[in-house]
Amino acid sequence: MIGYAIVVFREVLEAALIVGIVLAASKGTPGRGRWVSGGIALGVLGACVVAGFAAEIAQAVEGMGQELFNAAILFAAVGMLGWHNVWMGRHGKEMAMEATALGREVAAGARPLYALASVVGIAVLREGSETVLFLYGLAAAGSGGAIDMLGGGTIGVLCGAVVGAGLYLGLLRIPSRHLFAVTSWMILLLAAGLASQGAFFLNQADVLPALGNQIWDTSWLLDEDSVPGRVLHVLIGYVARPEGIQLVFWATTIVILLSLMRWFSTAPKRAVVRAAVIVSLASAGLVLAHAARADFTIHPPIVEYQEFEVEHNGSYTFDSNPANKHNETGTLELGYGFLPWWGSEVEFAWSRTASDPPRRLDEINWENTFQLADQGEYWLDPGIFAEVGKSARVGNTDHVEIGPTLQKQWGNTVHTMNLFFEHLFGPDNGEKSVNFNYAWQSLWTWKREFQPGFEIFGDVGPIDRAPGIRDQQLRIGPVAYGKIDIAPGLGELKYGLGYLLGLTHGTEKGALKWNLEWELVF
Amino acid sequence: MDRQAWLITLVSAIFFVAAGPVWADEPQFTLVIKDHRFDPAELQVPAGVKVRLVVKNEDSTPEEFESSELHREKVVPPGQQILVIVGPLDAGSYGFFGDFHQDTAQGKLIAK
Repeated sequence: MIGYAIVVFREVLEAALIVGIVLAASKGTPGRGRWVSGGIALGVLGACVVAGFAAEIAQAVEGMGQELFNAAILFAAVGMLGWHNVWMGRHGKEMAMEATALGREVAAGARPLYALASVVGIAVLREGSETVLFLYGLAAAGSGGAIDMLGGGTIGVLCGAVVGAGLYLGLLRIPSRHLFAVTSWMILLLAAGLASQGAFFLNQADVLPALGNQIWDTSWLLDEDSVPGRVLHVLIGYVARPEGIQLVFWATTIVILLSLMRWFSTAPKRAVVRAAVIVSLASAGLVLAHAARADFTIHPPIVEYQEFEVEHNGSYTFDSNPANKHNETGTLELGYGFLPWWGSEVEFAWSRTASDPPRRLDEINWENTFQLADQGEYWLDPGIFAEVGKSARVGNTDHVEIGPTLQKQWGNTVHTMNLFFEHLFGPDNGEKSVNFNYAWQSLWTWKREFQPGFEIFGDVGPIDRAPGIRDQQLRIGPVAYGKIDIAPGLGELKYGLGYLLGLTHGTEKGALKWNLEWELVF
Repeated sequence: MDRQAWLITLVSAIFFVAAGPVWADEPQFTLVIKDHRFDPAELQVPAGVKVRLVVKNEDSTPEEFESSELHREKVVPPGQQILVIVGPLDAGSYGFFGDFHQDTAQGKLIAK
């Protein structure tokens, strides 16, 4: 019986801790007990189903069904937790006004309890399915009768529940005004831990590389299988022997969720959160009155095959006109070279203007680079760039941008040109307009770590009714780029920095631009 | 270009890429679980390359193939076999075990 109890306790522990955190995070919301109980019940049901279909799942998708299933539900849980935190960031102020009837109504009606219930259900399903299989194995082998199994199982569940309850009650001791912040952080770390587990399974499924089999080994300090080790594993994602990819997913989840929480937050900014976001890859944003964003990026007609990259671009403009005084843009991009001739990136773009201070997510773009020939095969290296963008702001437009990219290497200089046509979609776009913008870059490939040159960016505007050059945007300025190797297997870092002077009446006086990229081939 | 044409292009591209990776001839080894033990208990595999491990469960109850050094955790249903891909591994010894029968199901992978 003890054997059963111990096994069940180990598995139940993780789910119980998650239930404790969820209950504390949703304190004050009527009906949460029903939602969480529902989540647990569905999770138990799901666990039995998954255990029953273990054979079929294992053989699915060329033998990687288990891994892909686990990764999918883990990332679904990450999404739910992230959604909850973002939602709380927007409505936290109202939630804190528990004392008022309005606050209670908001709490009752709007909270995404289904999100929290799903997380509970997923946690129970994950741990539960393994438990069911294990108990079935023990039972089939005849080690002890039904009473042993039931008794041991119940004891295990109760012990797990006690630990979960302990966490819940401990969290409740925190004064209400701080509880929201504390549970937000706990949910953030919980999500990061689950994402790291998801990465583990994707590596097992041979979908992601390990990026280092064992970045450190702290099993001598705290074994992951011990009770405190498991507790830490759930709460902060502790892994005694982490793969590099697990750390990448852990950190990236925190960066992305913190950034999203901050963008959508209506609460006064806290210094700690602000510092964390700045330290992370996210950067300032900008809102331009202009429908098209001013992105100062040159797109070469080259695909870096099998290269994964995380990129951040930013700009900060200066102008004497007070309305345009300090505008900022920023992007975060994740990309991969899927084929030798096709690379793709997802880009999150945000901005902030002097007249509209909060940073806002402007759009989410899907960029594709097509390399049409080998480098040097023709006199000019030809390529095509195609981008689809979905606006994240009310009233703003979606867009498609496409055009040729050309490059020429000449001795120790390289020159690149972009000619892009942008078609805007949207309710406010009565007349279909196609905008045209162009860019040029010349670099002296002096050293790998430092390549100076200049760039030109021009935006004509709508082709059919283009304003004169005076009112178009045109910029030129010095830039420098470089590449630095980090360590074998850890990829390389690329940087870019430049200052663009506005040449026309319709352009800001100056713009500082930068970009930082981390690339890894696998 | 209109939205529909784009959508069709993008979806086709996704299907193209998702056609599935073609696994080259990677070395393959078999581990058998019988009487809650691994056979062989010590398996030598080449270092520096991806290795395919086929784990066959010849018992009548499920087992979970697990190794924290190899970062692998996978259930093997009774009477079935599963595929576990490990590596590239540095030279060394990597322990694995059956999570459901830890007292008897223990083994080592030696990468050379």
